[in-house]
Amino acid sequence: MSQTASASPARAAAEGSAAAPAIETAGLRKEYGRKVALHDLSLAVQRGEVFGFLGPNGAGKTTTVKILTGLVRPTAGQARIFGLPAGDPVARRRIGYLPEHFRFHDWLTGADLLDFHGRLAGLSAEERRARIPEVLHLVGLAGRGGERIRNYSKGMAQRIGLAQALLHRPDLVLLDEPTSALDPLGRREVRDLIRGLRAEGLTVFLNSHLLSEIEMVCDRVAIVDRGRVVRSGRLADLVGGAPELRLLLDRVDDALLAALGEYGEVLAVEPASVTLGVPDLEVAPAIAETIVRAGYRLFGLIPVQRSLEDVFVSLVESKEL
Amino acid sequence: MNALAIARFTIQEAASRRLILAGVVLSLAFVGLFTLGFAFLNGKLAEANATRPNPQMVAAFGSIMAILGLYAVHFLASFLGLFLSVGAISGEIDSGTLHAVLARPIGRADFVVGRWLAYVGLMGVYVALMAGLLLLVARLIAGYEAPDPARAMVLMALGPILLLTLSLFGSTLLSTLANGVVVFTLFGLAWLAGIIEFVGDALSNEAMVNLGIVVSLLVPSDELWRGASYYVQSPAFLAAATAGRGAIPFAAIAPPSTPFVIWAVLHPLVFLLLAIVSFSRRDL
Repeated sequence: MSQTASASPARAAAEGSAAAPAIETAGLRKEYGRKVALHDLSLAVQRGEVFGFLGPNGAGKTTTVKILTGLVRPTAGQARIFGLPAGDPVARRRIGYLPEHFRFHDWLTGADLLDFHGRLAGLSAEERRARIPEVLHLVGLAGRGGERIRNYSKGMAQRIGLAQALLHRPDLVLLDEPTSALDPLGRREVRDLIRGLRAEGLTVFLNSHLLSEIEMVCDRVAIVDRGRVVRSGRLADLVGGAPELRLLLDRVDDALLAALGEYGEVLAVEPASVTLGVPDLEVAPAIAETIVRAGYRLFGLIPVQRSLEDVFVSLVESKEL
Repeated sequence: MNALAIARFTIQEAASRRLILAGVVLSLAFVGLFTLGFAFLNGKLAEANATRPNPQMVAAFGSIMAILGLYAVHFLASFLGLFLSVGAISGEIDSGTLHAVLARPIGRADFVVGRWLAYVGLMGVYVALMAGLLLLVARLIAGYEAPDPARAMVLMALGPILLLTLSLFGSTLLSTLANGVVVFTLFGLAWLAGIIEFVGDALSNEAMVNLGIVVSLLVPSDELWRGASYYVQSPAFLAAATAGRGAIPFAAIAPPSTPFVIWAVLHPLVFLLLAIVSFSRRDL
């Protein structure tokens, strides 16, 4: 791997450059034989962000993370971590990685596994002694470090995986489906953990197909499908867009629709309800007043926020056709 | 440094999976059996010798028993080396445990070399202990002294090391099962080639001898054993065997040539290098 290291002046410059994004990929392509796992993946993750990487199974999420960690070499394109080529040992020292299947050497105890990984990460014996109980506590495994991983439940194995990823105080954490084996309480703990990491200034790259989870913790999101980013942006922008109002009425007729058309675009009409796209939710009281004055009975006026799931489904489905 | 961490980890792994314990218990059982058989036969020989003296037989007895015992150790060590290393890389890939490890700032070469160092260390200790114990038994019971036990042990250890390096290389390319089949077949082929060469020599058939030589250059494990065997046979026994054109089909009556020994040392290094290259190119 050392042959990929850049010349030392360039490296020093890259390390010193605070401006380099945590992750930057350009035209990343990966072929496995004839199968193309990644087409042309370009994205940038800024420092301190919690970035959600979202896509259906087989979209190329795991391949991307493996390229970022240097486990897989791209067929074409570039990936840089803090300005260094992905796979560079210096870049890898700054990464914490929870692999998708979180399988660890199960003949080890949790603490021994962390000790082994700490050694590989370059932590001194003293640092390991101090840090291991800390991370065990952080992931909710305090007091369980002496047990063999073989006897851990799936949830505990995932937690020890998280501990392993955070052990060496990385600047960037790559989490590939970090909550797949956790129960709802465990998921909440991991969400809180991720928020804590953000508060400490870490960058988190979160691979997940659990939309609600991404929605709850991520600042920015990229939706990937068949090896391409189909949409990316701030979460608020993605799910925001034009707001919608759902009106529940005693009846719907043309006169009403004409009146509502003054305020926005009529998106859907049903016997007793209308969905109206409006430029701003501020118009809601005026709409209510108009309806009541015209003699209709208004049972409900509900602002509808598009969920990430709606965005995701519409994007992935539209490509399917 | 990282390679050493991997080596340490590999030895821990062998210990915790009871591989080392099983190896030690079974091997000690073998040494016990050998001691009993040796003592029993030695007693019979002494009895027979008392009624009808046969100095040639007495001289041959120590050599033959030492060769038989060490031949068994050679097999045990070869299998142990094979079993240790057959899934060194492929097993880790299959179980998915490599991802977290190799995302650390360590090179693929560190991983391969660390594994190799651990296996080589284990095999070295194993061969030295087992061969040492057997030769000690021969000495205590029959007063038999092998001419050059150190040289014999080094050559004996090289055989399993060569095999485990081959299987380490194989495990970067093949599944554990396929790798085991391939390396075991190569080991069997080398053994067969040794026999073919021996028979060819006895029949003065040049083609058979050449076939044996070619195979033993590709996989020198059997030839290494033969080289080792030379150094544990008494000069008197060797002289008699040379006169009678080879007494034991799986032991040598001439020392291994220097170029062969150099090749046998280079062989694992070449395959270690190939393993590093092959693993470094692999996507995980």
